[in-house]
Amino acid sequence: MGGSVLEVREITKRFPGVLANDRVSLSLERGEILALLGENGAGKSTLMNVVYGLLSPDGGSVHIDGKPVSIKSPRQAIDMGVGMVHQHFMLVEPLTVTENIVLGNEPTRGIAIDFRRAKADVAEISKRYGLAVDPDAIVRDLSVGMQQRVEILKALYRGAKILILDEPTAVLTPQEVHELFGVVRSLVAEGLSVVFITHKLEEVMAAADRVVVMRDGRVVGETRPADTDTAGLAKMMVGRDVVFRVHKEPRTCEGTVLSVKDLRVLDERHLEAVKGVSFDVCAGEIVAIAGVSGNGQSQLIEALTGLRKVLAGTVTLAGMDITHASARRTIKAGVSHVPEDRHRRGLVLEFDLAENLILGDHREPPLARAGIMDTGAITRLALERVADYDVRTPSIKVTAGTLSGGNQQKLVLAREMGRNPELLVAAQPTRGLDVGAIEFVHSRIIAERDAGKAVLLVSLELEEVQSLADRILVLFEGRIVREVRAGEATDEELGYYMTGGGGSKLTEESVTVGVEVE
Amino acid sequence: MSEKPTGTGGFARVARAAIEQIATPVVSVVLAMLIGSAIIAAVGYNPIEAFSALFAGAFGTPRQIGETLMRATPLIFTGLAVAYGFRAGLFNIGAEGQLFMGGLSAAWLGVVLAGLPQPLNIVIMIVVGALAGAAWAFVPAILKARVGAHEVITTMMFGYIARYLVSWLVTGPLKAPGQIPQSVQIAKEASLPRLTDLLPMLGTGRAHLGIVIGVGIAVFLWWVLKYTTLGFEARAVGFNPFASETGGVSVAATTVKSLCISGSLAGLAGVVEVMGVHYRLFDQFSSGFGFTGIAVALLAKNNPIGVVAAAILFGAMSAGAGSMQLNADVPQKVIFIIQALIIFFVAAEQIAKFILRPFEGKKGAENA
Amino acid sequence: MLSDVITPDLFASAIRIATPLALAAIGGTICERSGVVNIALEGMMLFGAFMGVVGATFTGSPWIGLLVAVISGGLLALIHAFASITLRTDQVVSGTAINILAAGLTGFFMEVIFHRPGTTDPVARLRPFFSVDGPSSGPLVEVWRWIDTVFLSYTPIVYFAIIIAVAGQWALFNTRWGLRLRALGEHPRAADTVGISVIRGRYAAVVASGMLGGLAGANLSLEQVGSFTEGMTNGRGFIALAANIFGRWTPAGSYLASLLFGFADALQIKMQVFRDVITIPSQFFLMLPYVLTVIVLAGVVGRAVAPAAIGKPYEKG
Repeated sequence: MGGSVLEVREITKRFPGVLANDRVSLSLERGEILALLGENGAGKSTLMNVVYGLLSPDGGSVHIDGKPVSIKSPRQAIDMGVGMVHQHFMLVEPLTVTENIVLGNEPTRGIAIDFRRAKADVAEISKRYGLAVDPDAIVRDLSVGMQQRVEILKALYRGAKILILDEPTAVLTPQEVHELFGVVRSLVAEGLSVVFITHKLEEVMAAADRVVVMRDGRVVGETRPADTDTAGLAKMMVGRDVVFRVHKEPRTCEGTVLSVKDLRVLDERHLEAVKGVSFDVCAGEIVAIAGVSGNGQSQLIEALTGLRKVLAGTVTLAGMDITHASARRTIKAGVSHVPEDRHRRGLVLEFDLAENLILGDHREPPLARAGIMDTGAITRLALERVADYDVRTPSIKVTAGTLSGGNQQKLVLAREMGRNPELLVAAQPTRGLDVGAIEFVHSRIIAERDAGKAVLLVSLELEEVQSLADRILVLFEGRIVREVRAGEATDEELGYYMTGGGGSKLTEESVTVGVEVE
Repeated sequence: MSEKPTGTGGFARVARAAIEQIATPVVSVVLAMLIGSAIIAAVGYNPIEAFSALFAGAFGTPRQIGETLMRATPLIFTGLAVAYGFRAGLFNIGAEGQLFMGGLSAAWLGVVLAGLPQPLNIVIMIVVGALAGAAWAFVPAILKARVGAHEVITTMMFGYIARYLVSWLVTGPLKAPGQIPQSVQIAKEASLPRLTDLLPMLGTGRAHLGIVIGVGIAVFLWWVLKYTTLGFEARAVGFNPFASETGGVSVAATTVKSLCISGSLAGLAGVVEVMGVHYRLFDQFSSGFGFTGIAVALLAKNNPIGVVAAAILFGAMSAGAGSMQLNADVPQKVIFIIQALIIFFVAAEQIAKFILRPFEGKKGAENA
Repeated sequence: MLSDVITPDLFASAIRIATPLALAAIGGTICERSGVVNIALEGMMLFGAFMGVVGATFTGSPWIGLLVAVISGGLLALIHAFASITLRTDQVVSGTAINILAAGLTGFFMEVIFHRPGTTDPVARLRPFFSVDGPSSGPLVEVWRWIDTVFLSYTPIVYFAIIIAVAGQWALFNTRWGLRLRALGEHPRAADTVGISVIRGRYAAVVASGMLGGLAGANLSLEQVGSFTEGMTNGRGFIALAANIFGRWTPAGSYLASLLFGFADALQIKMQVFRDVITIPSQFFLMLPYVLTVIVLAGVVGRAVAPAAIGKPYEKG
């Protein structure tokens, strides 16, 4: 290892009301895999966005190969050999793989883009690093794992020597994660240096040479995986001991609440996204749908909650047919829905808390009679819910947009659970939350179950699925390919089903990879 | 943050919010007038003379105040129409067309209903005029809700269609005898009385009952938006259709309802113009009220009460423009330039905020 | 009767009517591909038409008028760009303000310069680009009449519009400019992260659309009419936007969709000849382009996919 290729010294970055980076220093050695570990909001992405020129720091300096540099734009970062793969991919979906890779550095012949040369270049790089991908494919049609490859190729095409990966595993299956780490190792072997941002302890243990931990905008520690364990890392990351397993009493089925039979649903492009799904959810039971993003989860939820047309099949709630019910009737029938994207579907950010809390019940007495709303009743209900669900706010008259992410999610829970539903459909209920808020959401979901409600949980996080669910259904390409009881399957096994595993060859492969990691 | 959340925002917060609400529009109007002055000066006229003439023409005498109110009346309705649409996330740029249809219904009913008592006539003509405006907005509304055809293009196109329809009717089936293409005059008992008919001491010239109806409807609309499920759902869809849908609100139904309500308000603008001012229909009976309504709504930040104030401002400009041209020789079209500038400044809030910044030193210090 | 309708003149007139629509529609394509909605094409066209006449009046040269029209359209677009890109104003609202501003400016300066409202003094028009003598007798006269009318009878901007459509179509899918433009409207942050300036790219696209709008206006005032009348664009900017959507945000598609409108309009004008036979009031013929626009929009919009980032202001970081 020959000296630091990237060093940040005393970087400070302020946002209105937040000190996102407080005199942060760290260095990356040549040929090293450095994990930058921290909770959501710890300031990891801010720091890397500063390095990549997307944000300008309020103080401190960045050094590349020992020389101080001023990076004011991604263009300059690219020119200095820094590449970044963002958590939300920076890919233009309707364009081809090649177009995406060369965008901004297009080879030309005359005034036209030399697509032949572009394709040859892409093929050459993907061969060198073992990142096979079809250069003519439209990005929109690729799997998430493939899209990530395109992102990495984009950085390599631009001659990146330092690669920053922002939460690269968030959307991958365990198998894809292993593959990704394989790729990262081969990149390092070719002389690159890699920083990956994560909040997942196992990944740090499995892949990093060294780990820097951030909390509340500061570096709070640095260690090597060999010198610590996950519990030690967790304590460093959160600042206190963390209980990993949720406490949960075993329960038996107390009667079917939700019954889904042969459900078929189309997506926006009129392709069948849910292809004949059948399952039941009992009262007092949490059923989790596990799967890689884009395998029909969104369409399944939308169909169950009256937001999407059902093509065929039936949905029954406590004996009542709600297959073709509107969202409004579905709510009235007793289905509550914590949507996967709280900004888009969960809240009206411009509405105040009271208005958000009544959305969905706003036509029902005592909140409204004959179309006229009762402000007194609304205020009373809002104050009660805000207190019950510990939403931290100065007033119920502030807009939902002013709350922190955790409080916004509490607001959604307050509305959806406060309605006292028969069935709670929770989609990725902890996405983007910090550990404290995650614990709160999990305990509330368990409380619903213990109160005899049926809960359908959809999550991409296997850890969440494993710790909450009584029963796990694996969804792959619109079909339920596996059902297991809690604790019956390891993450690797679930991951294997999530990617459509079935043949023995794949099983062996995934097992070997698993062993290799341990 | 540890204190218990309160139900209300507190008086100070409400007061400050109100001042903040008004500050941007006021600054915007002043800026627009300054630039308007610069343009007037640049082409060799005296802007002070021009604006004094304008002001005198708008407020100089009770009769001229009446002229201002009369010109503000249709703008209250079109302003409310556009504002209600905006609240529901819809841009009814074609209010002009719905206005024509409202005017058409009044011109027709005003003739066929002759003989009915005046109050009954007024009620019937207002209801039918609102329905006519709503009907003209219905097709764009359905197209928006069903296939997503953008209402900016469709309502605009329906505006042109309405224009040609009226043009045909006043030269053909509804034409009054004589050379001029205009409809038959409506009956006396089908007209809106002037304010001076009710209270002669006002001396407000051509101002008519329409302004009272307009203010009443503005207050009603404010109440609808704030205290009814109809208004709640419209606002919810306007801010975030996806979250509304998740909350059981039918986005399609709300879109259709909202655009039709918007259309009915624009229709009323045509009704009051026919019943209160022209007593008949002709090609040019609207001088772009539908479009000025956009400026009115934006200046009022889509608040129904604010619409009344903004409409009076634009009414005054329109009433004063004539005297400005007459006495200061400045082409009255300059008020359209000022209107456009007002829209810019209100819409680009940063400009006004930038100018107001020195006055907000204290608030800035609190945040830091 | 059919031979009275299907004449070379019908096709020529369709192409002429399509020209301002096509130029504005291609302007809309460029602007919207970059992620900025432009409902101000109407105003840019109107302003271009007026300034073209002003330029031609003062210099006596319609060519200089044309140049002035193009620059004026670009300048008006610069205001739209500043409002919607830099100030992040709602793009539809900014467009509306531009439209009202254009009506105000043209009306105001009409009275300042020409001392009356309504219509300006006539100016020298741009003449047809080709003047080729064909056979005046013999068997080829009829053939020549078709060739001359349908291909060789037009003024310069008409040919220019065709060139713009073809070149623009090729450039959108084969050049750096085109690839980057498409990226801007779909995922501006992706473009930003590879070093493409979103702000600069969008400014350029909006100004280009304004220049095309100004050119469309010049076509109306300096080629078709030879003077300017207040409000003479008469909704063409909006019809052009519909043509752009119908043409799926491509230059060639925009041109062809405009041609559809042009053909319908030309046919409508032809049909008016038979007013004595078919007793339909002229107003109904005049309504047709607007009705057609609604039908086209209703029929196509569900299936046409707009650029994903359209209408959304871009904020760094």
